Amino acid sequence: MELWNHCENPYPFVPAEVLDAAESVRASLPNKYCEPEIAARLYDEVFDEYQLCDDIGLHIVTNEHHSGINNLWAASPVITGIVARLTKKVRILSLGTLVTVRPDPVRVATEYATIDVLSRGRLDIGFVKSGATEMTSGDANPMRIREREWEAIDLIEKSLTSHDGPFSWEGKFFTHAHVNIWPRPWQQPRPEFWAATSDMPTCAELGRRGIVNTLLFGGYDRTRQAFDTYKQARRAAGLPPPGEDRFSYMAFCYVGDTDEEAFRIGQKIPWFLTVSIKSAPQMSKFMPGQLPPELTPAAWRAGASKRPSNLSVETLVAQGQMFAGNPDTVVKQIKTFRERVGGVGRIIMMTRQGLVTHAEATKSFILAAKEVLPQLRDLPPVEQRTAAE
Amino acid sequence: MMRHELEILRAGETHADMILLIHDINPISPKAQFLAGLARTRAIIAPSHPGFGASSLPPDFDTMYDLVRLYLDVLDNLPAGGVAVAGFGFGGWIAAEVAVAGHSRLQQLILVDPVGIKIGGREDRDIVHHFNTNPTELNRRSWHDPANRPAGIYGLGWQATISEAMTDAEMITLARNWDSLCLFAWQPHMFNPQLKHWLHRISVPTLVLWGESDGIVTPDYGRHYASLIPGASFETIPHAGHHPELEQPADFVARVKNFLP
Repeated sequence: MELWNHCENPYPFVPAEVLDAAESVRASLPNKYCEPEIAARLYDEVFDEYQLCDDIGLHIVTNEHHSGINNLWAASPVITGIVARLTKKVRILSLGTLVTVRPDPVRVATEYATIDVLSRGRLDIGFVKSGATEMTSGDANPMRIREREWEAIDLIEKSLTSHDGPFSWEGKFFTHAHVNIWPRPWQQPRPEFWAATSDMPTCAELGRRGIVNTLLFGGYDRTRQAFDTYKQARRAAGLPPPGEDRFSYMAFCYVGDTDEEAFRIGQKIPWFLTVSIKSAPQMSKFMPGQLPPELTPAAWRAGASKRPSNLSVETLVAQGQMFAGNPDTVVKQIKTFRERVGGVGRIIMMTRQGLVTHAEATKSFILAAKEVLPQLRDLPPVEQRTAAE
Repeated sequence: MMRHELEILRAGETHADMILLIHDINPISPKAQFLAGLARTRAIIAPSHPGFGASSLPPDFDTMYDLVRLYLDVLDNLPAGGVAVAGFGFGGWIAAEVAVAGHSRLQQLILVDPVGIKIGGREDRDIVHHFNTNPTELNRRSWHDPANRPAGIYGLGWQATISEAMTDAEMITLARNWDSLCLFAWQPHMFNPQLKHWLHRISVPTLVLWGESDGIVTPDYGRHYASLIPGASFETIPHAGHHPELEQPADFVARVKNFLP
C-alpha cells in the first residue's frame, strides 16, 4: 500500500462574519479577502511539506479549485511543475486540472508532458469531472460534461502517445487541426491515469480502461459499490481482475502521538465540510446538469442547502471518511477500511486542511511515514468476495 | 417529414389562421389564460422544444443552429396557409433567428421580451444571467409582482417558488427544461453575437411587445431590438414583467389581435 498526501492549500483566514454573510464562499467571494502575503506564506509552508514528503516517502497530490477559500492552487499544472522541481523521489499526482473547464486538451497534454519530463517520469495524471461552483467560475457549460470529460481524456491520451508528427482531431467538443506536442512525455507509453469519481457508469468505464479509480470521502458502502462496479465492468469485458493499485481512497487523516491528540487536532479538518463548501443555490442544487432530473425532487424538497455543522472526528471515523489516532489506531482503521471495500492500494490523506497548522501537519506526516506506512506496505491480498451482481 | 417528434399543444379552431407559439424557459402551459384568448380567432400550435416538456432530446442536438432548423422544419410541415409566429423570451430569440433565416409561410412576427442579441458594452450585461443569479432575485425581476404568477405556471425564478404542493412530476419536468435551456444558452449567455447584424433581413410585419417592469431584459433593450428590425413596432405592457402574456393576459391578447389582420 502507498500513502499519498493531498493538500488543497485552503485559505481559512477570512473573518467568520464575512463568510456568514456571503451567499457563497466559492466562486463569488471577493478576492479583497485574500491577502497576498498570507497566501505567499501558505504556498511556502505547503511546498516545504511536500519537500518533507519527498524525504520520508509520502507521494504527493495536487489539485485545483477556483475563486474561493477552499483552495489556493488554482492551476494544478503550475503547482505540479513546481513540485516536480522541488522533489526528487516520490510520485506526483495532479488530480487534476479541470478538463471540463479548459478549452484546449492539447494544451493540458503539453503541460503534463512537460512536468513528466522535468520530474523524470514521476508524474501521474488525474481527471475530475468537476461541476457546481467550478462551472460558474470557469464559465463552462455544466451540461454534457461527462461526454466532454471523456473526449478531453481521449485527446490528451492521443496527444501524449503520438510521436510521428501532427495528427488532426475533429471531435464533438474539441477540434484541433494540428496536434504535435513537445516535449513528449518521459514515461512510455504515457503517465498513469487516475480519475476521481463515485459516478457508477464512470467507475465502470474506468474499469474497462484500467484507470485508477479514486473515491473522495465515499465511506464504506459507496466506495465498495464503486470498486465492485469497476471490477464487474472488467469481468464483463473479459479483462483480467484489477490489482489493488487500481483503487485509491481519499480521507481526512491525522496521525498523532496519542488518539487524544489526533482527535483534538483532527477536529480542525472538517472545516472543509462545515465552512468551505457553502455555495449559492444557483451554483449548487439548481445548477443544471448536477443531478439527473428524476433525482431532483428529493434534493429540492430538502429545503435550503444544509451545511453540516457537527461533524465530529468520531462520526467521520465511524463512517470511514477519516483516519485519526495514534499510528497503531490509524493502521487498524485503514486495514479495516481496506477489508470492507474489497481492497484499496493507495490511501490519500487530506491532513493540512482547515485550520491545521504547518507544524501540526508536519508532525502527522512524519508519524504517517515512519510509523503507519511500514505496517501497511506489504499486506496480504484481501480476500475477494464476489461482488453482488 | 419532421425528423424530430415533438410534443405539441394545439388549441383553437383548426380552420382559423395559424399562430405558432415558440416558448420561453418552459413549454406553454395549457392552463395559461392568454391561450384561450388567442384561440378565439386563431389555430394555435405550440411545440415543446427538444429536451423540454415531453419532447425528447436527440444526443447530437445542442445548439441554437439546431433549434432554428427544427422550427423551419415545423413551418414546412404545418397545414397550408400563412403563419404568424410569436416567440417569448428565449423562444423570442429562436423566432428572431427563424425570421432572419426566412420562410415563405411566415407572415407576421411577434417578439415578446425576447433575448438573443448583444447591445451594451463588453462589461455591460444586457440579460440578467439566468443560471448565475439567485432564484429569489430572478423571481423578483421576472414579474411586475410575483404574486401575479398564475398558480401552477412557472416563469424565470421558478426555483424560488418550489413548494410542497408541487408534484414530483412537475419538478422533474422543470429540472429537465432547465437543463435543456442551459445546453442551448449557457455561452454566450442567451445571445448570438452575429444576430444583431442580420435582423435587417426580417421582412415581415413585426410587433415587439415588452413588459414595462421586465427586470431581466429592460424595455430599453427591447426598443433597441425593435429598431434593428425594419418597420417593427414596439409596445410596452404596463404592470407586467418578463412574462407579460402570463401577468397581463387580456392586455397581451388585445395587442396581438390588434396587430394581426
